Amino acid sequence: MRWWQIRNRNADLERELRSDLELEEEEQRERGVPSEEAVYAARRAFGNFSLIREQTHEAWGVQPVERFLQDILHALRAARRTPLLSAVAVFALAFGIGLNAGVFTLLNSLFLEPPTLKDPHSFVQVYPRYTGWFLREDQYSSFTTEDYDAIRSRSKALEDVAAWQVSSPTLEEGKPNATLMATCNYFHVFGIDRPLLGRLFTAGDCNRGSTAQVAVLSESTWKNALGGNASVIGQTIHLNGSSFQVIGIVSSDAANFLPGGIFVPYTTEPLLDQGRDSFNSPNAPWLAVAGRLHSEFSRVDAQSELSTILSQQDRAYVKRQVSTFNRRTALVLTNGSFIQNPAIRNRVVALMALILGPLTLILLLACCNVTMLFLSRTVTRRGEIAVRLALGAARGQLARMLLAESLLIAVFGGAISILLVYRVPLLIMNTIDAHQARNVLMIHPDWRVFCYLAVLVVMATVISSLMPIRAAWKLDLLTALKGREGSATVRSGTTSGLIVVQIALGFALVCAAVMFGRAPSLVTGMNPGFDIRHTIGVPLKVDTSAANHANALTFNSTLQSRLLAIPGVQSFTYASLDLFRLPPPIEIRLPGQTVGQGKPTSVNNVSASFFSTFVIPLIKGRAFSSSDPTSHNADSVAIVSQGFAREFWPTGDPLGNSVITPDNRRLTIVGIAADTQSETFTVTDGPRLYTLRDPSALDGRLYVNFSGDPKPVENAIRDTVRALDRTQIISPETTWESLEADAEQMRSLAGIVLTMASIGLLMAVIGVYGVLSFGVGLRTREFGIKMVLGADRVTIFRSVTSQAFRNTAFGLLCGVALTGPAMWTLDRFFASALPLRGFSIFIFGVSALLLAAVSMAAAWLPALRATRVDPMQALRNE
Amino acid sequence: MSSIREHEKQRAAVLQGTLDMLILRTLLYGAAHGHQIGKHIQRTTNDFLQMQHGSLYPALHRLEKRGWVTAKWETAPDRNREFKYYRLTEKGKKQLLVEESQWKQMMEAVARVMWPASSKES
Repeated sequence: MRWWQIRNRNADLERELRSDLELEEEEQRERGVPSEEAVYAARRAFGNFSLIREQTHEAWGVQPVERFLQDILHALRAARRTPLLSAVAVFALAFGIGLNAGVFTLLNSLFLEPPTLKDPHSFVQVYPRYTGWFLREDQYSSFTTEDYDAIRSRSKALEDVAAWQVSSPTLEEGKPNATLMATCNYFHVFGIDRPLLGRLFTAGDCNRGSTAQVAVLSESTWKNALGGNASVIGQTIHLNGSSFQVIGIVSSDAANFLPGGIFVPYTTEPLLDQGRDSFNSPNAPWLAVAGRLHSEFSRVDAQSELSTILSQQDRAYVKRQVSTFNRRTALVLTNGSFIQNPAIRNRVVALMALILGPLTLILLLACCNVTMLFLSRTVTRRGEIAVRLALGAARGQLARMLLAESLLIAVFGGAISILLVYRVPLLIMNTIDAHQARNVLMIHPDWRVFCYLAVLVVMATVISSLMPIRAAWKLDLLTALKGREGSATVRSGTTSGLIVVQIALGFALVCAAVMFGRAPSLVTGMNPGFDIRHTIGVPLKVDTSAANHANALTFNSTLQSRLLAIPGVQSFTYASLDLFRLPPPIEIRLPGQTVGQGKPTSVNNVSASFFSTFVIPLIKGRAFSSSDPTSHNADSVAIVSQGFAREFWPTGDPLGNSVITPDNRRLTIVGIAADTQSETFTVTDGPRLYTLRDPSALDGRLYVNFSGDPKPVENAIRDTVRALDRTQIISPETTWESLEADAEQMRSLAGIVLTMASIGLLMAVIGVYGVLSFGVGLRTREFGIKMVLGADRVTIFRSVTSQAFRNTAFGLLCGVALTGPAMWTLDRFFASALPLRGFSIFIFGVSALLLAAVSMAAAWLPALRATRVDPMQALRNE
Repeated sequence: MSSIREHEKQRAAVLQGTLDMLILRTLLYGAAHGHQIGKHIQRTTNDFLQMQHGSLYPALHRLEKRGWVTAKWETAPDRNREFKYYRLTEKGKKQLLVEESQWKQMMEAVARVMWPASSKES
């Protein structure tokens, strides 16, 4: 029988019992019992009606459901009796649960969901890990063009394979715009078959050699940057000065997970990435690859097939001697979600823990407050509870009843919090970056969100009912039945425990806020070992082909002289390596070693003024001088990094020693430069060798050192370049400025965390205040008697505040025990990625002071109230 | 503590089983309502087994839930009133056989202990 049939079954049972009772009555009368007596006799023979009913219900097997419904009905009545208290509890929990679930919705959309809405099961993203060849061996990276081609042409398990790379070229003359260089089947693989306007790419757009300079815009870029006019189709836009014809618009909803604002064929990479040509380089991993599984193949099949293809590629790579290093490739296949990306999985998990952890603390604080409210209700209801216990109610039943009351409040809270689930993610995205928010996503709560919500509701129910249940169990029946205040109703241990918990949680939250608050200043305050505030990168696109050689030389020399003429510009330098990009490794040998015996090294071919321009100190020896030979076939001099010196001469002095380059030049070491962090944020570079660049060479990236305000210098550089070549539209920036943009985002994130922590702190303060005034309320009689016995008001005041002080101190200790390990873990995960310096006396100190101050402030009022107890009143009650 | 509870449970199961068997056996004569079943058992055992309604109705509903009997409101042949009549189903008949044989086995077992000589003779 189903539980919803209970009502009918009950009516049926009632009818059956009544008809049989009437029969019994008739029989009694037939036996000669007087009519009136017969009714009672029949009832006696029949026994207890309610008991029969109850036992029959047990036979139906619906008793637990019935009891549950009864408990819920009772909880509803209890909630109606105390509407204000219930409303406050519902809103506190709705806030705690909603904030958690809302942020989880955002994280779910960003990190957990696969990047396609259409048949996500067949979507596969592939990550390679090149070992033996790539400098950062342990990292998962992207594919080289050759490897992508091999996968696309040979794989049977994947029916369609797309590749892409994110770039940020300058749109017209504005700011850099997120752009995706993608293969022409990209949209199809991501499940987008129809454009909003115009057309998507066709296979012909990606023809090698005759690349079509066409672009598809995302709806948001179309509306924000180009006014949302339909006539934009067919118009020309400029990315890094190269013209692209707009052919279509993809809708934001369809392009839900697309990270880019503008899509161009990946074959245009040499045009957009100034001075780089990843497309034609067998050594440059740059393409992210994803595909759709053929219906007959599983992910495991695809994994083994692709591994075979890649090991064939490895063999071919070694055979062609592209590099002196061997190469082995390992693969991981995922559903494309962020959290499954092997390169960042741990960090994503840690980040989620970092975000959801403090939020859970807010929920716990809300639960503490609700616990307090319930506890006070339990105390006011001690008479009712005592009667129940005295009539034989089991403790289990009592616990079930109180649990049902919590459940009711938590479920109402959960239901209201669904509103927040829809609002919070957009609110956060808008705070971090309004432009980005429109660009990124439509957020849909899915089953994961609702499961999480359910877990939170259960958690809130259990946590907020624990203390009231304990208080009800410990009830002193005798005093409670007499209607007197039982001093043992809520023990001081309970109130102390609540204060300790709230202080500890508040402490952890404040620590998180202080840590985040410091993060932006750590980004901009980072010291990578070279000057980031006074160095500007000048991205140039110069045609260095033989036909244009003379023009290029003139362009360079004119530009150099004009740059030096700009007020504020001190020096300039060329360097072959980019900042914050992983360089391809080159084998450097010691004299006497054969090819293959050397070590992988990054080689930076720089101008003589490199070290002065970047302000990299020389530890030993001298800098390059203009008289040092630069010819490609002559031996020359070199400067090495400290890392290089450690790697090649662990104990000896490198000065005066020689090394051999792959083209068999012998370079004598003349200086040792300080280590820098120029490849990855906050990670010291590996061994690095600086060679002297031929001043008349055409390759290399240009950097300018200046003094004073960066803005006028940047504008002057931009105008100078444009005056020389109208097609070169650049927006030069100092490294510090680009870091500052990152810091800006982090600042808004810190703002959010700070707001949340403030809310949490407020909850903790209210909680501490509530607990203390509740405790004072319970001890009124005790204070009165103490006063009668001679205690003065100062003593009373001190007894309340000293309890608060002890609990606060203990709470802070617990907070440190809670936060310490969490910070240690964070430090492990983020040390290299985010500048969150974990364990810090500063963070703990500031947080502890703040918490101590607010909790003492919260203790003030209850303590004052304790001193105003009227001793006569207390005695009269006695 | 738990072993005592376990023992209680087993005892209840045996008693329940006996009651179920008696009800099923009564219904073998034909359909009957609760009051009739109770009275029949009481009469047949010369009032030795006083049928408590508190156990009769739960038992009837339990048997119905298990599909051993069916119940239907019908007008009594001798009165102008409806009663809830219980009938034995095929499944119930089979169950009765099972319960009967189990009961016999138990009786024999008990008899062997209580009256060893006479049980050997038989």
